[in-house]
Amino acid sequence: MGELIFETREASYRYPAAHDDAVRAVTLAVPRGELVAIVGPNGSGKTTLLRLLLGVLRPSDGAVLAGGRAAHGWRRRELARLVGVVAQREEPVFPLRVHQAVLLGRYAHLGPFRAARGADLEAVERALERCDVLHLRDRWVATLSGGEWQRVRIARALAQDPQALVLDEATANLDLRHEMEVFELTAELVRREGLAAVLVTHHVNLAARFGDRVIVLEEGGIAAQGTPPEVLRREILERVFAWPVEVEQWRGVPQFVPLKREEREE
Amino acid sequence: MLRHASAALLAVALVGACGSGEVPSSGPIIDDAGRAVRLDAPARRIVSLSPSTTELLFAIGAGDRVVGRTRWCADPPDALEVESVGDGLDPNVELIVARRPDLVVFYQSGMNDAAIAQLERLGIPTVSVQLDGLADLARAALLLGQLTGDSARAGTLVRAFEQELAAVSMPPADDAATVLMLAWDNPPIVIGSASFLSEIVSRAGARNVFADLGQPSGSVSLEAIAARAPDVVLLTEGDSEPAFAGRPEWQVVKAVKEGRFVAVRGSHFSHPSFRAAQAIAELRAALGGWPR
Amino acid sequence: MKRWLALGAAATVVVMVALAVGPADLAVPEVWAALTGRADAATQAIVRELRLPRVLLAFVIGGSLAVTGATLQALVRNPLADPYLLGLSGGAGLGAVSAIALGVGGAWAVPFAALLGALGAVVLVYRIALVGGSMLDTRVLLLAGVVVGAFAASIMGAIMALSPAPEVRNALLWLLGSLDGASWRSLGVFAAYALLPLMVLYALARPIDLLALGEEPARFLGADVERTKRALYVSASLLTAAAVSVSGIIGFVGLVVPHAMRILWGHSHRTLLPGAFLLGGTLLVVADAVARTAFAPLELPVGVVTALIGVPVFVWLVRRWAS
Repeated sequence: MGELIFETREASYRYPAAHDDAVRAVTLAVPRGELVAIVGPNGSGKTTLLRLLLGVLRPSDGAVLAGGRAAHGWRRRELARLVGVVAQREEPVFPLRVHQAVLLGRYAHLGPFRAARGADLEAVERALERCDVLHLRDRWVATLSGGEWQRVRIARALAQDPQALVLDEATANLDLRHEMEVFELTAELVRREGLAAVLVTHHVNLAARFGDRVIVLEEGGIAAQGTPPEVLRREILERVFAWPVEVEQWRGVPQFVPLKREEREE
Repeated sequence: MLRHASAALLAVALVGACGSGEVPSSGPIIDDAGRAVRLDAPARRIVSLSPSTTELLFAIGAGDRVVGRTRWCADPPDALEVESVGDGLDPNVELIVARRPDLVVFYQSGMNDAAIAQLERLGIPTVSVQLDGLADLARAALLLGQLTGDSARAGTLVRAFEQELAAVSMPPADDAATVLMLAWDNPPIVIGSASFLSEIVSRAGARNVFADLGQPSGSVSLEAIAARAPDVVLLTEGDSEPAFAGRPEWQVVKAVKEGRFVAVRGSHFSHPSFRAAQAIAELRAALGGWPR
Repeated sequence: MKRWLALGAAATVVVMVALAVGPADLAVPEVWAALTGRADAATQAIVRELRLPRVLLAFVIGGSLAVTGATLQALVRNPLADPYLLGLSGGAGLGAVSAIALGVGGAWAVPFAALLGALGAVVLVYRIALVGGSMLDTRVLLLAGVVVGAFAASIMGAIMALSPAPEVRNALLWLLGSLDGASWRSLGVFAAYALLPLMVLYALARPIDLLALGEEPARFLGADVERTKRALYVSASLLTAAAVSVSGIIGFVGLVVPHAMRILWGHSHRTLLPGAFLLGGTLLVVADAVARTAFAPLELPVGVVTALIGVPVFVWLVRRWAS
């Protein structure tokens, strides 16, 4: 196991004035060189858990560490050099060109007055290249397709020179091809460059195929975590998603199929 | 400067031409909006909606018939006994009707059209009077005299006033003192030749430094004031040393820097009335300290 | 570099021309003689004590308004934002009208009361927009600005309707915007005061870029979002409040200039803010020169001229940019 990027120990969070914990006694670890997929039904605490990992929320109980320090204690600027984030949606209010958008990823490395140097511009070009969007560098962001924009935002996160990537439902609005492209790109960055990646998704099957480990959340707590064969089991998935499923092996990876009503009786 | 002088002289000449007081014999009475005013009998209950018409009604002996006035009407002091109906422009029709008038005297303005139309629907006669300068005074006095049924008395007063006015008026000489009149200081709003006060100034033998401004008042640059370098600043209200005199940018106007302020007080400087001759005399006395 | 030189040259030329024109009919050699101290006392006073401080004041006010407008557009993520959006104009107007209605005396009573009114509105809007103690919600900020401004304007309307002092209406003219109060003293006080907020806004140019993406992305790219929003709001408001107290409400500069700069130079606030300062200053100097001279000796409210010049230019830019 490589160096730990994220680590939580019995971490819980309860929103002010709420009756129950949104995240309950979660213990997990995300090392470098590993792609961890987090799945779970709506309201299972995926977003709250991410906000804890990214230091936006402070745990009401337990510990959440990023890079070995309390996640909420980081200065945003320093945390941005550790973790790059791609959220589900983002709409810039003013028009930007692709290379300008990616240059914003260098913020954490720039002072308030210093102009972007050669090293910053090189980092931008490299990030564009790694995400295979170099040919888009002079396009307006507003003219990009959903998949192109998502890949540009991954490039922006890479321009931060982070040790980890966090993708929060980053493929939710994409069609099949673009979704696969984002998953492949992320997996490749983890394999080739040793980044850590946390991928929150609704797609349990893709999580199983791309994730080194899968975490299944249920009502704020962890229902199961481990390798895909350990986690994608019929009894776990049926309970968590409250729907009958069948789990089958496909080239050694478990894949699940939700059942129709008439198929249940068979 | 010649231009200003001729404009002022022209204004004086116009006043003289219009000032004869003939009483129209018969036929419909036409007001200053060009509308015929029909009364079955001389007005007994009058609501007057401008300070100058209220004062004029009292002056021609019809004060006891005034049953409503604006909140701005304070002349003569007896007028304060009359109930107020609020503002005079775009007035409150309900308050006017509550005074049960048989004549409502309006200041001639488009802002009053709606109120006039409403009163006419209710069968209450109205008259619009344009009373902005001394040239209007005789006509207004005779019109109100007719409507109150005492044209003769109004005519006598008008003739006496015109003699008094002629005696006290003095056209400005070439070296007359130039006077700055300010309605406001930031942005500077100056009094132009179409205002009553400007008329008083030119009849008092001085010259409005903005006489070429053919409107009652206008917003001008401080630089324009400085360039015209008035001899004195005439103040009609407030402190005798105005607040703006303490501001650095006003020091560029020499009269302000040197404190050449002339203060006159009273409503006879603010609207046309039979007291205008007195205003001219007072102003000339006040300006006496500033000959050219 | 070239574009900076071009903008700087345009600003310089405009300032020179604005110095040479005015309701006082002075020839260019006379103006030059006055500037170099070789004219008669009256000419010298007009050029050196009126025109020069007025032109320079117009420049720094126009520049400040443009910078504030650009900042607020990014802060509330709304391209329609302008410096007066956050209730300042209502507060300033209420302050000025109250001072006149109450007959408060003194040479600086009206500007000072307007400053107090504007600052009062700023504090009130800020208090309303702070949710949960320390988070500044920009959507609430926007709403609070609009309602506080409307509320102050209503009270102002009531005072004007009820006040026995007819001068109260003149406060409205002042609010329409005028640089007639310019002197070396007002220029000096404003410039000294404006320096700090302008520096703060410039130092925050990069976080402003990030905020335009939205608060969450800005946070994850490394911006201290809450601190940045507070610093932006406070600096922009203090700057606008001072501008209002010196020159009344001058519209369109803070709306049109930032957009013109965005179209011409793009959205990086490190170049946008200084560029907007130069262009805003230039526009207001031009507008004021037109206001002083077009119908001399009568003067137009300068806000009317900024709209007359700014809007057609803006429409042309937008159309060119859209095609």
